[in-house]
Order: sequence, then structure tokens, then C-alpha cells
Amino acid sequence: MRNGSTATYVIMALPLLLLMGFLVYPVLGVLILGLVVGPGSSFQEVMSSQVTHATLWFTFLQAAASTILAVVLGLPGAFLLARLEFKGKQAVRAAVILPFILPPIVVVVGFLRMFGSYGFVDSVAMALTGSTESVVNFAAGVPGIVLAHAFYNIPLVILLVSAALERLDPDIEDTAELLGASSIQSLRRIVLPHIMPSLLSAAILTFLFCFMSFPIVLALGQGRYMTLEVLIYYAFSSFDFGMTSSIAVIQILILMALAIAYTAAIRSDKRDAGQTSFIKTIPITELSAPGLLTGILYALLIGVIVVGPMIAVIDSAVFDPVTGQYTLKGFLHLLEVEGGLLPLTNSLFYATLATLFSVVMGIPLAYSLRSRSGLLSNSTSVMILLPLGVSSITIAYGLLRLIAVPTGWAANPWPLIIIAQTLIGVPFTARAIENSLRGIDPSLLEQADSLGANRLQKLFFVELPLLAPGILVGAAFAFAMAIGEMSATLFLKREQNVTLAVAIYENLGVRKFVEAGAASLLLLVVCFIAFLVIQRASESAFKGAI
Amino acid sequence: MTEYPSRRDPKKVITAAAVVVVIIIAAAAAIMFNPFQQRTLTVYTYGSFMDWGDNNDTDFFGPFEEKYGVDVVIDRRADDANTLVAILEAESANPIADVVIGIDNILILEEAAKSVLAPYTPINLSLIDDSIVSALDPEHYVVPFDFGLVTIIYSMADMNTTTHPELANLTFADLARPAMARALVTEDPYLSSPGLAFLLTEIAVHEKLLGTDWTDWWSDVKNDIDIQPGWSEAWARWYTDPTKHMMVSYGTDPAYSAYYTQTEPDVGTAPIYYNGEHYAWMQVEGMGLVKNGPNPELAKLFIEYCLSPAVQMYVALNQWMFPANMNVELDSAFDYALKPDEVILLNELLNQTEIAENLASWKSEWNDIIRG
Repeated sequence: MRNGSTATYVIMALPLLLLMGFLVYPVLGVLILGLVVGPGSSFQEVMSSQVTHATLWFTFLQAAASTILAVVLGLPGAFLLARLEFKGKQAVRAAVILPFILPPIVVVVGFLRMFGSYGFVDSVAMALTGSTESVVNFAAGVPGIVLAHAFYNIPLVILLVSAALERLDPDIEDTAELLGASSIQSLRRIVLPHIMPSLLSAAILTFLFCFMSFPIVLALGQGRYMTLEVLIYYAFSSFDFGMTSSIAVIQILILMALAIAYTAAIRSDKRDAGQTSFIKTIPITELSAPGLLTGILYALLIGVIVVGPMIAVIDSAVFDPVTGQYTLKGFLHLLEVEGGLLPLTNSLFYATLATLFSVVMGIPLAYSLRSRSGLLSNSTSVMILLPLGVSSITIAYGLLRLIAVPTGWAANPWPLIIIAQTLIGVPFTARAIENSLRGIDPSLLEQADSLGANRLQKLFFVELPLLAPGILVGAAFAFAMAIGEMSATLFLKREQNVTLAVAIYENLGVRKFVEAGAASLLLLVVCFIAFLVIQRASESAFKGAI
Repeated sequence: MTEYPSRRDPKKVITAAAVVVVIIIAAAAAIMFNPFQQRTLTVYTYGSFMDWGDNNDTDFFGPFEEKYGVDVVIDRRADDANTLVAILEAESANPIADVVIGIDNILILEEAAKSVLAPYTPINLSLIDDSIVSALDPEHYVVPFDFGLVTIIYSMADMNTTTHPELANLTFADLARPAMARALVTEDPYLSSPGLAFLLTEIAVHEKLLGTDWTDWWSDVKNDIDIQPGWSEAWARWYTDPTKHMMVSYGTDPAYSAYYTQTEPDVGTAPIYYNGEHYAWMQVEGMGLVKNGPNPELAKLFIEYCLSPAVQMYVALNQWMFPANMNVELDSAFDYALKPDEVILLNELLNQTEIAENLASWKSEWNDIIRG
């Protein structure tokens, strides 16, 4: 922002002001209300409680374990996706993100069928060992929790890291090879530093997701484990607003530490962005035999973990457990206005606008994150992570009590639902775009300057095309977050605002299992199409930029 | 420069995109904020309210809408009734709802619940058995809509009274045996009303009948019992996991099974047994006037209407609870349900004052045992 004009400052400040108004104000507002007015436990009581300490530890450890597993399982996928050239790559990329949108209860059922006692994996193990009793159960306890968290977050690692890899300069790799570097050396010295920022972003987002996890931990942990978020729900449902606020304060403190550590880690990385370019890709047909084998084995592993539970969704769309029969009534229900058309329209309307807004907000926020002012970049970093790192019930309650009720929006809260869904998309767009921004060669911008481009032309014709991979990934996740959003939507929605994700949950609540299954399948199909459209749109919009 | 692709003016692109977005939002706003709406009566309730059957809100409330020329909006506003109360509290400065349905005989003990309600004694309360009215709320902040018995159910495909004779006269000691405890799914008492009812069942039986410390049983089973966050999750676990045979649910489940499979039910009930009698906890779901609601007179008429047979006749098959109005005839499938006259109600052993005083500490002790 060297030649910063007033307009630039306004554009930079606008998203920050919106975040202050629709996120920081309601969150801090209800926290202060809870701590000062209550009713319920005091901050000191909560902080000194043994339960809080034990829960904090467990929350932290399971999140760390889940993050490590998601990164380990996701990284090879990121390399394959960036490096390999194959037919249907776009479809694979669009499919990879699908686990992200499934409601937890749907994932839990898929996990039980795949990894539970007498499930698919167990049946294979029983056949191998010749046992008639259940041998393995990966859908219970801590292994179940960690595996389910990996299921949700592998897409994040694969897509964020592969977006960074696509900008890896092939010349450096060639030079390293020419100078006799082994592939391990080149991986460690060239590739790893290049993907580090995006890997860190993926890891921090994954960690936050697992840190905030709530239904997965309760359902797969069979009630024996709980996270801070569970405690918040306990406190909230017992009207102990003092405790709700106290734990949310702990969450915010942890979040701030994470956000600032992340910014510091990125800052210590002083390398200049190299020349902007595209990674060298290999057609799949030219892969060596061992390479191909490893690739296939990896695809199988991911297939079992990620695709397996999703197959259960397809089955649940047509099989009615109450009558024990296959039926199409789930799909017929979708054709009714209340059953499928209204939730679908709402979902698409909210999610599309939320995605658009979070991309538009994400671009200036990414520049703020890159700002030389430590205060600006740190506070932006904290603010954009807030929607993921502070209890969703706190945000939803804050929005309802401090914004919807005073403004009268509570009667028809759709603008607020879009705002809530935008807020949870912003962490993805801002981070993903920031990662791309890092890869832009400053000399390109200088050239544009010297050729007489104005700020807008430079942004549109030089920067945005270079940011395209980041925008694409950010938009895809923003869409996924928005369309899968449950907590705030559930809390704010009136009868006319039901979305597909909410409809799935409501159907399951009244034993309408096939109706829920069909709605889940529809959600998956709609998202798959949406991700393809997002890819196409970003490619055609920015093609031929360089 | 001839190959350089043609460019659109960025200002035009931005303006065009902005115009499209503004038009979409304006259109949505115009549709949603329709000023010519009929006057409405808003009812807040939980997600599954009267949504279990083949009838719909028009069947239940259409006649009321016609009679009073009003649009009744049944807003299934939250997943559970506790959240419903939190929402009503958040909206209390400017209430939207006129009536709330779903606050049960435990939730009404919370100060927060009473603070958002205005007591009202409808004339039609005479149609409801006194014992149910006072089991819910003697002060009439809420009056009964329906009630049900919370009990253990079992899958007949996995077990029956021949393979497991103890099912006929089930005790907590039976359930503490690892093989039985491992087959049982229940719900979290913080997050689920049947889960809380089961905790109270366990406390009442141990403290009032057996005269032993209630915490021991939970210590015995804590590594074996499966606790799910809510009823839906518990049912999903019970149905999907072949090692789970029993679940804490409602006594009407066999009736549901018989009605939808059109055969003998594949689900049995096993209420807790002690000294020649069976016991169960009764959950009474109530409705009440929202304090400072927009249409109090209409809201009162609505509550009267809900107590009348016009609505109560639909309760059994669409809610799978017993209608509060006991003059309503039940479908023959309900012959399979566990009925109130077959059990002694644990509510009579554990009175509301005692629950109100101890609930918070019971829940927190339970939490310490399970996660300790």
C-alpha cells in the first residue's frame, strides 16, 4: 500500500468496521453482560474449578492430536493434487471438500457403519482373524474422536496447501536438481519453506475446529469426554450465563495467543517472494511404478476414511430403518415446498451471498494481515479467527440479543443469518487470499506502476488474477461453511428461514430418517455442483492474466 | 500487444456486480417484509413439535385461524426447550412470540423460565386431570399440552424376556452388570429432557426406594454406559450400533413401531421394578403465555383451543405422547404403549421443591462422576 489514497484506506477499514459491529460488539457485549449481570457462577469460580482445568487439558490434547493426524493424512493429498495432471482433476478437487459440509450427526452415523463394532472395517478384520466377535472399534473413545476430526479437516489441509504448491517456482526446483540436491533435500529446503505459511494456516484452522468441537466429542466419546464448548452448552442450557461467559473468555485468550503466534511465525519468515509462476505438473501416465503404487495406496486410505462414511449417506437416503424397507419417500418429501424447496432456496440464497461477501471482505482483510503495523495485523488476525475460536452459541446469542432484538430484525432475521454465515467464511477467504498474496512478485506490481496502471487496474489485472487460487479455495470453504452452518442459523432462524442443514437435523429429531438422508444427499450434490461452478468461475474470470 | 486479451473496465464490472447483489437483496426484502400480512399469532416451540405423523399444522390449527381470522405461525424456533427459554429471555425487551409450547415439569422449575411467562388459568383446564396439572405447575405459568413416560426400551430383535428374564422386572442392579450396561444408550441430562428424566429416575429409585446413595450406580456403569448428547443421537447409535440393545426413550415407542410396521411391535419397554411394582418418570410438556407478548387475548384463546379435543385428538399420532385431555380416544396402536396406570409415577416420590433445590448440584455431581 505504498501509494495509499483515501479510497484505499476506506476500503481497508470497511471490513474491519463491519467485524467490529457484527462480531466484536455482540461477543464482547454478551460476555460483559454474563460476567457482570449473570446469573450464575463467577469468573473466579470457573477458573479455579477442577472440571475446567481437566476439560481445558483434554480439549487441547485432542485438538493437537487431531491436527497432527489431519496434516499427516492431508499433506500427501496436497502434493498429488498440485503435482499430478489427470482427467477429472476439477471433479476430484470439488469432491475433496464435501466432508466439510456434513452435519455432525450424519458423520457419526457414517462412522459407526464404517469403523464401529461390526462395521465395514471390523468385518474385514473379523474375516482376516477368523473371529466371530468384534475385533476393532475405531468409532469410539479418543480414537473415534480424533479420526472424525481428521475426516472433517483433511480437506482443509489438502486444498490450502495444494493452492500454495501451485505457485511453486519450477526453476528453483530445477536449479536444485542441477546442483545435485536429493529430492529429500529439495523437499526440506525448497518445498517445505514454500508451503509453510499455508500449512500453518491449515493447521491453525484445523486446531480451532477441533478445539471448538462439541457434538462429535459427545457422540463418539459416548459421553465420557468433554471439551470447553460442551461446558459452555451445559452452562447455557442451565442458564448459568456467568459460566458461559467465563469459558468464552478462556477461549478468546487461547485464540489470541494462537493468532499472535501465527503472525509472528509468518513474520520471522523473511524470504522474498520469488518470481511468480506455476508448479511443474506431471501427467499421471508418466508416473513411475512405485510412485503410482504409493498414490493408489494413499487414495485407498483416504477412500476408506473420507468416502466410506459418505456412502452411508447415500444408503440412508433410501433405506428406512423404522419399516426396514427401501423407499423413495425421502426424495418425494424433498419435492414439497416445506420439505425441500424452501430449505434449498434458503440455503443457496444465504450461502451464495455469504460467500460473495466473505470474498469481498477477505481481500482487504488479507492486505491488513500483511500490513507492516503489528497492531493492525495482529488485531485483524484475532478478529478473523474469532468466529471459529469463540463459542458459536456466544456469537449467536450476542447477535440475537444485542443486534436482532434492538433493531427489530428478530422478527425476520434473514439478513442476520447471512451476516453470521459471512463471519464464519471470512477466516477462510482472508487466510487463503493472504497466502496467495505472499506469493506475488513485487516486481510485477512495479512494472504495472511504470506502465501507468492505476490502483484499480493493478488490482483487477495483476493482483486478483494472481490471487485466484487463494480466492478459489477461500470461496469454496466459505460456501461450505455457510451452507453447513448450524449453530447460529438454528438460533436465529424463524419458521421461514429453515436451511437444508437445519432440515436434516429436524427430520432426524422426528425419526424421519429417509427424509434426513435424502436432504443430506441433496446437500452433498448441491455443494459438489457449487464447488465446480466456483472453480470454473474463478478460472474463466482470471484466465490469461499473466 | 495484439495478443493482449481485451479488458473490461473494472469500474463497470464492480458496478454491475453491486447492482445485481442489491437487486437480489431488495427483492428478498420485499418478499419477506410483506406489509399486507394478516394479523399473526406466533407460537414458539421446539423442533420436533407435532411433526412425527401424517398430519400438519393446518389440520391442527386451521380451524382456529378461520374462526378468529388470524394467521397462526408455529415457529419451531429451537432444537430444545431450554434454548427456547434463552431465546425468549433475549427477546424479552421486545417479545415476538405470544405463546410458547414445550416447557416441561423440570424446566419450569428454573427461574429463567418463569421470568418469561405470565401465569394464566384457562377455562378448559377443567378437561385435564388435576394430577397432571399440578405435576407440571400448580401456579399455572404453564398448563399441560401432553405427557409421556420415560423408560428403558429394548430391541426385540436382540433381546426379549426369554433370553433376558430380568427385562420383565428390571432393576438398576441388573443394569449395572457390565454386559447390560454396555448394551444401554442414554442421553446427557444437561442437554436432553429424557436424559434428565433418567437421571431423576435413578436418583428417586436409589434415594427414595432403596435408601442408598445414588452416585454409586453411575460410578459402577460409567465405563460401560453409552451417553449421547440428545435423543436423536441416542436413537441413531441404538439403531446403527449392533452392540446396543437398550435405550432410554419413551413408553410410547412400541405403539410407534406397531403403527408404522402394521405388525406386532419390535420394541419392548422395561420400566424399573421394585418390590412388586413398576416405576417410571412422567414428563409433562406445558404451554404458556409469553410475558408482554403482542396479542395476549388471542394467545389465551389459543391456549383454550389447544386444550380442546380439536387439537388434542391429533396429539397421540403426531407427537407420540399422551394427550393432556384424557377424554380423547387413542389409536389402537397405543394398546402397546406403557400406560400411566401400569406404573407408579416417580414424580410422586421426588417432589418439585426437592428437585428445584438440588437439580444443579445433582447434575454437577453426575458430571464429576462421569468425567472424573
